[in-house]
Amino acid sequence: MPRLDQLSEIQRQSTLYFPCLENDTAPWAPWTKELSNTKVALVSSAGLHLRNDRPFKGGDLTYRVIPSDANTSDVIDSHTSIGWDRTGIYRDLNLAFPMDRLRELVERNVIGSLAPDYYSFMGAQRDPRKIMEETSPQAAEAMHAQDVDLVLLVPV
Amino acid sequence: MSVIARVFEEAGLPTVVIALIKEHAEKVKPSRALFVPFPYGYPMGKPNDADFQHRVIGAALNLLRRSQGPVLEDFPDEAGPTEFYQASAVTSTEDAIKKDAANEVTGLRAFYERWIEDGNGRTAVGLSGIPQRRFRGMIRFLQDFSMGEETDMKERPQDVPLPQYVRYCVDDLKAFFFESRMAQRPQDSEPELQTWFWGDTAAGQLVAAIAKHMVDTGDEAMARVANGIAR
Repeated sequence: MPRLDQLSEIQRQSTLYFPCLENDTAPWAPWTKELSNTKVALVSSAGLHLRNDRPFKGGDLTYRVIPSDANTSDVIDSHTSIGWDRTGIYRDLNLAFPMDRLRELVERNVIGSLAPDYYSFMGAQRDPRKIMEETSPQAAEAMHAQDVDLVLLVPV
Repeated sequence: MSVIARVFEEAGLPTVVIALIKEHAEKVKPSRALFVPFPYGYPMGKPNDADFQHRVIGAALNLLRRSQGPVLEDFPDEAGPTEFYQASAVTSTEDAIKKDAANEVTGLRAFYERWIEDGNGRTAVGLSGIPQRRFRGMIRFLQDFSMGEETDMKERPQDVPLPQYVRYCVDDLKAFFFESRMAQRPQDSEPELQTWFWGDTAAGQLVAAIAKHMVDTGDEAMARVANGIAR
């Protein structure tokens, strides 16, 4: 979900009428590697950042870098939307930012390695143009510079 | 998130994205998306359930086997709470209106400290820069603010406007109350926690009063901040 029929009327309406971009086709970066030989980066839209980094503000279209070797106790959120239940990530940050799970996948040799840096944006933006045109291309460039092979994106 | 995934793909980075709203993923068309039938805030389904979270990630990684896209698959299992109560959905008890949030802070402190100890230092408190030991002072500040009085905190950075700083304080206060309560009553469900905070605590009444004050000022920027405090 949220399955639309289980949301409150207000949330259902705001979800249905969210100005969402429509596309006819999808871009396609072919996947040619073995997972066990892959360097993975994690990207979130939960407004996460290191405890001592600057918090997000309303309409903030920038992103924060979170080193992949940070502890979950080093990461907090300042997402400006209260349209989602925080109690889940209070209990376990991995619920929205599965840092420990990716570390376990490396230990199990399912994936090869972790990118040095992860990234967090703040989602639920009404005008994502700057994210599309400026800040996410910058993040893509930074990931290329760290030889990232695969990006796992997790919303909130 | 699907929009960002497309930018990465266009830059030549293969992506797998978790999608919480199938209707949006169908329109935006990211290259490889796993729709998960979980509530907002629960993209991996269940907190403190590593096996379940691994199943979600595994299902997402499986999409890499597909040779063309866009791919949009459904994760089969439901998870997460089905209710999410915000302030306006909860009726306040008479008791909550009479109590003082500063005394509640003092009463919860031992539980909060236990929460930190049990979670190896993990806490969502930390946006305001005000140490938990000074939360009684933060409550006084928020009470004054909610009554329209001129007030401030020395911890507020100069480049953070007062209403924005109030929100950081409110976020810290919410995290402190919820984490304390979860240490005190680990079995409480999410709707029980939300009903307690908004209905039974003076802090919940204070947070709602701050949002109301912000809206009542008629200032548009203030009203936008209020929307991230209580509604």
